[in-house]
Amino acid sequence: MSTPPSQTPADAPFVAIQGVSFAYPTLTGALGRQILTGVDLEVRRGQLVALMGGSGSGKTTILRALGGQIKPQAGTVMVDGQNVHALKHDQLFALRRRMGMLFQFGALFTDMSVFDNVAFPLREHTDLPESAIRDLVLMKLNAVGLRGAHALMPSEVSGGMARRVALARAIALDPQLIMYDEPFAGLDPISLGQIANLIRTLGEALGAASIVVTHDVEESLSIVDYVYFLAEGKIVAKGTPDEIRASELPYVKQFVSGAPDGPVRFHYPAPDYATDLGLGARQ
Amino acid sequence: MRLLIEAIGHWLIDAVAKVGYGARLFGLTFRHSGMAFSRFRLTIAQINFIGNYSLVIIVVSGLFVGFVLGLQGYNTLQRYGSEQALGLLVALSLVRELGPVVTALLFAGRAGTSITAEIGLMKAGEQLSAMEMMAVSPIARVLAPRFWAGVISMPLLAALFSAVGVFGGYIVGVQMIGVDDGAFWSQMQNGVDWKEDVGNGVIKSIVFGIAVTFIAVFEGYDSQPTPEGVSRATTRTVVSSSLAVLFLDFILTALMFSRE
Repeated sequence: MSTPPSQTPADAPFVAIQGVSFAYPTLTGALGRQILTGVDLEVRRGQLVALMGGSGSGKTTILRALGGQIKPQAGTVMVDGQNVHALKHDQLFALRRRMGMLFQFGALFTDMSVFDNVAFPLREHTDLPESAIRDLVLMKLNAVGLRGAHALMPSEVSGGMARRVALARAIALDPQLIMYDEPFAGLDPISLGQIANLIRTLGEALGAASIVVTHDVEESLSIVDYVYFLAEGKIVAKGTPDEIRASELPYVKQFVSGAPDGPVRFHYPAPDYATDLGLGARQ
Repeated sequence: MRLLIEAIGHWLIDAVAKVGYGARLFGLTFRHSGMAFSRFRLTIAQINFIGNYSLVIIVVSGLFVGFVLGLQGYNTLQRYGSEQALGLLVALSLVRELGPVVTALLFAGRAGTSITAEIGLMKAGEQLSAMEMMAVSPIARVLAPRFWAGVISMPLLAALFSAVGVFGGYIVGVQMIGVDDGAFWSQMQNGVDWKEDVGNGVIKSIVFGIAVTFIAVFEGYDSQPTPEGVSRATTRTVVSSSLAVLFLDFILTALMFSRE
């Protein structure tokens, strides 16, 4: 399968999100809690961008909007010059073939071997003979250091290995946009370093735009080119890793230093402590 | 009081929305069925998984239902001196009713639950999401092959159930009680109509296959992606599909056999 030529000139942003707002609609059509509010974001080719923020700040939702899995109520999501949410089903699927996504826990198909997982996108989207697929799969697995594990089942590999297999699967079709959803979550330091290194080198090798959704400050600040900070669905800060480290914004400072209390409170909103314990009545 | 009315209203709106969503998914499953037939190996793998693995429970149940029919049928028929008709009674009960219905109920428990749980767990593990992001429709790749595998397996399993049941009736009636061998088979051969009895039984089992497998596929796809959600969806599959089978059986029986 030949990759369709890119629509955008080389220096234009490959991903451009403008004023995106989103709330999950319920089954009956009403809107639930607001997840994203007026998000602007850009990623260029070959650039590695981190989306940081606490749990529930809407980071993963941005990835879902990029893949066209959810439709924002306002704003535009452009990938390679195409408005993701104006595309027809077939066009969206054609665009998705040029995207790779690494899910939080790998999302490997549990009924297939490591080899078949990586071969899956190739078998679904190309007419390559089985011998060519074998070569490609082994090359992709070799790139993540797991050529020797091709015959194992997903249940037989560790969390870090599963993540690397999923990475090999995500890059099987040489994507131009790679999205990583919490790639560092729950990994031991060695696996974490391996994944971080792979994210950096694979993006460079493919010349792809990469987006890493993460709350791991240390690891991501050391590998990314640019950082967006999300809090409660809004971009509250952005800049290069050095600018973020030097930031005086209270929220960013708290996040980078990991202080338990600050703009983000330790306590969930609650009535006054004394009142809650029934002490108020005695006074 | 107001809360009660609100609760009823919520329940009703949710129920209607779910029926609408189910109907839409039913249509989508048909529309995305191309792959299930153009790459028939996908469907065959599922037939092996949900059909083949149901063989043991179907054969064993069929045999015992046949035994019981032989005993009960003989007890009743011999009062009127017509135990010769035992073969006919056993065959008609199985082909018209018990074959399709009991098979469908067993199929819901054996295969329906595993379909729901598998799809639900795939959803919980973000496998369906991952598939979508790889530009592969989970409806075409996961749902449709399972659906058609169920629709194809059900009539075959029901036929097997009836055949084994007849054999069970023969063992008890002829071999153990001593009903005349020739009468048992010839009455059956004369009395069972190819189109009226066997044909309608097959139609029933196809309809049940569609209902049970679609409910299983739908509940899995619609489940909350949590351990609790998947377990609830699995329970709903058994309850909804069993009720659907019994309800549809009444409707179909009324349509098929009320003319006589």
